[in-house]
Amino acid sequence: MSQANRSRNRALVDFVVLPFLFLTVALLGGLRVGAESRTFIFIAPPLVTLLLAALSMLLFVRGGLLRFHEWVGNDLPPVTNVAHIWMFITIFFASAQAFNSVLPERGLFHWLFSFFFLWTLWNNQFSSFDARRLLRSLTILFGTAFVLKHILLANLYSPEGGWLKRVAGALLQGVTLGTLDGPAFAPSTGYIAFFTLALYIAGLILFAFASNGEPTVVTHTLVDGYRQLSAAEQLSVREAILDDPVDQD
Amino acid sequence: MQAKIIKVGGLGFTIAYAAFIVWIYATEPRTFKEVTTSAEIAAGTYQIDQEKFNSALSLFRREQFRAARDEWQRADPAQRDAHTQFYIAYSFYREGWGRVYFDQELFKQGVEAVNRSIALSSTSPLTIEDPDLRMHTAAELKVELEQGLESSWSDVNPLKVLRTRK
Repeated sequence: MSQANRSRNRALVDFVVLPFLFLTVALLGGLRVGAESRTFIFIAPPLVTLLLAALSMLLFVRGGLLRFHEWVGNDLPPVTNVAHIWMFITIFFASAQAFNSVLPERGLFHWLFSFFFLWTLWNNQFSSFDARRLLRSLTILFGTAFVLKHILLANLYSPEGGWLKRVAGALLQGVTLGTLDGPAFAPSTGYIAFFTLALYIAGLILFAFASNGEPTVVTHTLVDGYRQLSAAEQLSVREAILDDPVDQD
Repeated sequence: MQAKIIKVGGLGFTIAYAAFIVWIYATEPRTFKEVTTSAEIAAGTYQIDQEKFNSALSLFRREQFRAARDEWQRADPAQRDAHTQFYIAYSFYREGWGRVYFDQELFKQGVEAVNRSIALSSTSPLTIEDPDLRMHTAAELKVELEQGLESSWSDVNPLKVLRTRK
């Protein structure tokens, strides 16, 4: 009975909850509220966010968060394969929209933020990651971008002229701020972005747990990989495992 | 078996949700009211506010053209009713018409409105049976508005002050 419940819950998470969460991120990631009109403004993901999402997907694969070979394969039923591919598509668009929500809409800051995101994700491609570290790194990345855009830049773009605008005006007196100009949004935009990012990170955490729900499969994959090594390599692996201190954090 | 139902049901539900998101980004509604209006259009249940339409018509007959247009725009916020768009175009024509010259800006907006009206009634030519009007089809109104936007030697003819508004 518990096995049946487990199977049902797993199906509910994999095929309903996770795609729904990621699609909600895709919906809210491009939503802004106009500062004066208080109306919705839907901003489709710019091309650069698709590139950032593609790099994130690569990072998810490298960090072991997305295990394609376990989620899509010949031995799985066709409906399961289709549902899993669909979930990967929702993760891709959720990632694009998560970047969209923290990327300034235009001007110099748009390109600066895009450049730093690209730089960070590109560097991360060559770093050693596991799923937990990757999630921590992404949380920090999005958290920092959120603070910069929705607290600091929102103050700079504020039509009433926030404290940052006054400081920037005093510091850059006589220098044009045209390149730093950007659209002003209502404070509710920040709340929507916060909720969107929280949902995105929560979705990824849930996805990581769902991926690790079948330890036997992972174990078998590891053991199979180990058995394909030569005797000398097997010995090195055993020594490395015994020498490596357990990650306590 | 239940897991398979969840799989298929979940897939169907989330694909429908994704289609809704694509539709939202394509139509870009600005308020929740516009979301419901767009949904009504998509479902084919959209109807204009008849009370506001009639109120605008009475303003139009009293030559309160701007007020009439405001009312018609409220009656047909999605600009999806050919009948209402025809009347909006007609109000631009009547307000912009002058014995000496035509208001080009109003006539341009009239052409836009009549084009919307024609596009919305593409299946059959739009005919309005209103005895107060002297042009009853969108095609006639469009020609009149477009002629008003053209410049020709006849513009300097002093006898043109004798022409009548339709």
